[in-house]
Amino acid sequence: MISFKNVNKWYGDLHVLNNIDLEIAAGEVVVVCGPSGSGKSTLIRCINRLEPIQEGELVVDNMAVHDKNTNMTKVRAEIGFVFQSFNLYPHMTALQNTTIAPIKVRKMKKADAEELGRETLARVGLKDRIYSYPAQLSGGQQQRVAIARGLCMNPKIMLFDEPTSALDPEMIGEVLDTIKMLAKGGMTLVVVTHEMGFAREVANRVVFMDDGHIVEVAPPIDFFTNAQTERGKAFLSSILSH
Amino acid sequence: MWSFYFHELMRSLPFFMKGVWMTVAVAGLSLIAGTVVGFICGIIRAGRNKILRAVIGVWVDIVRGTPFLVQIFIIFFILPGAGIELDAFSAAVIALSNLTASFICEIVAGGILSVPKGQREAATASGLSQYHQLRFIVLPQAMRTILPPLVGQYVLSIKDSSVVSAIGVVDITRVGWFTVQRIPEGIMVFGLVGLLYFAICYPLINLSGYLERRMTVMTIRL
Repeated sequence: MISFKNVNKWYGDLHVLNNIDLEIAAGEVVVVCGPSGSGKSTLIRCINRLEPIQEGELVVDNMAVHDKNTNMTKVRAEIGFVFQSFNLYPHMTALQNTTIAPIKVRKMKKADAEELGRETLARVGLKDRIYSYPAQLSGGQQQRVAIARGLCMNPKIMLFDEPTSALDPEMIGEVLDTIKMLAKGGMTLVVVTHEMGFAREVANRVVFMDDGHIVEVAPPIDFFTNAQTERGKAFLSSILSH
Repeated sequence: MWSFYFHELMRSLPFFMKGVWMTVAVAGLSLIAGTVVGFICGIIRAGRNKILRAVIGVWVDIVRGTPFLVQIFIIFFILPGAGIELDAFSAAVIALSNLTASFICEIVAGGILSVPKGQREAATASGLSQYHQLRFIVLPQAMRTILPPLVGQYVLSIKDSSVVSAIGVVDITRVGWFTVQRIPEGIMVFGLVGLLYFAICYPLINLSGYLERRMTVMTIRL
């Protein structure tokens, strides 16, 4: 479903993605972790070309994201993206946030899109907040609206860029539960997160990155109990020690 | 003497009203044209094309860095030398539109750039086109920043329109010049001139203040 082959990316002199090779199958749940600045956010932002790559091949759902001639609107319509800072549209209600892309990109009728928006918001547990503006919602609720916004495009893939890092601790659970629900539904998910409990429970594989490299790829149980590299061990001890 | 002149001034009121209409016509047309051109240029200036951005930047700097009177003289007296003949009214509207557009361009560009980058990223990620992003995501949010100074610029442009009297457009100011030659009470005549400008601008000043308060409240709510 997602295939990185020898992908390289630089910010000026900084080599942020260094020879990335990674295959993610349809229906797989992959957690990407690593210290800050390791390139994990950049990695998933490349998948829908929020960031361009400079070298290598990146194919998503049989469409060549590395190719400048690829129609990215089509690719992006198949990929939901959830940001750390939610990025909801503040001038629109929760319902409008979820319907704008289906109406404008999928050319869905307004009434149909609203029906879909209502259903999707109900799925993430926000049935009674559909007419609320983002500012009237808690962080956890905003992030669930953002997830619903992505789901309304009926994507094949959902990408999560540290979806719980901006949340108060008591709201992290509700957002993770929503993502778990998607994982059980068989959607392809790539989640950048430090929530190791979540990774252990739902991930098929953990990708550990450091300094622009993919250092380890392993099933969570293997990675957590038996990391193969010194950097992996050091990272685990630093996040699990508190 | 004073009451005689006052009486004379009142008798010239219809003449002043013609000046008011001329000011409203010059300023009104210029505000419309300046707003349209200013928004287009502002959107381009906040966009990604570096060459267009630079060209508009140079234009804005030139217009903002030269006196409006000089700009009018160039359009009215110097362009005919290059074969472009304009009557005073057209020259006045073109000059004031140009001035207004350059200021609105900067207001609009500033407003667009004040919208957080994440908003565009979210819209891009969901597949919205550049046009849809601008129309439904960026501009509605930018308008909160744009509206108060935009109305403020309208007030400034209406007042700056008095400069067009220098090329013979019979606006409120020009009527004042004519009248003061018959009625040598400068304070009285130009008091009336000022009052008429104030009557046009005051509602807009209030509107600007209202929008400023409203937009601040909205910003807090959002």
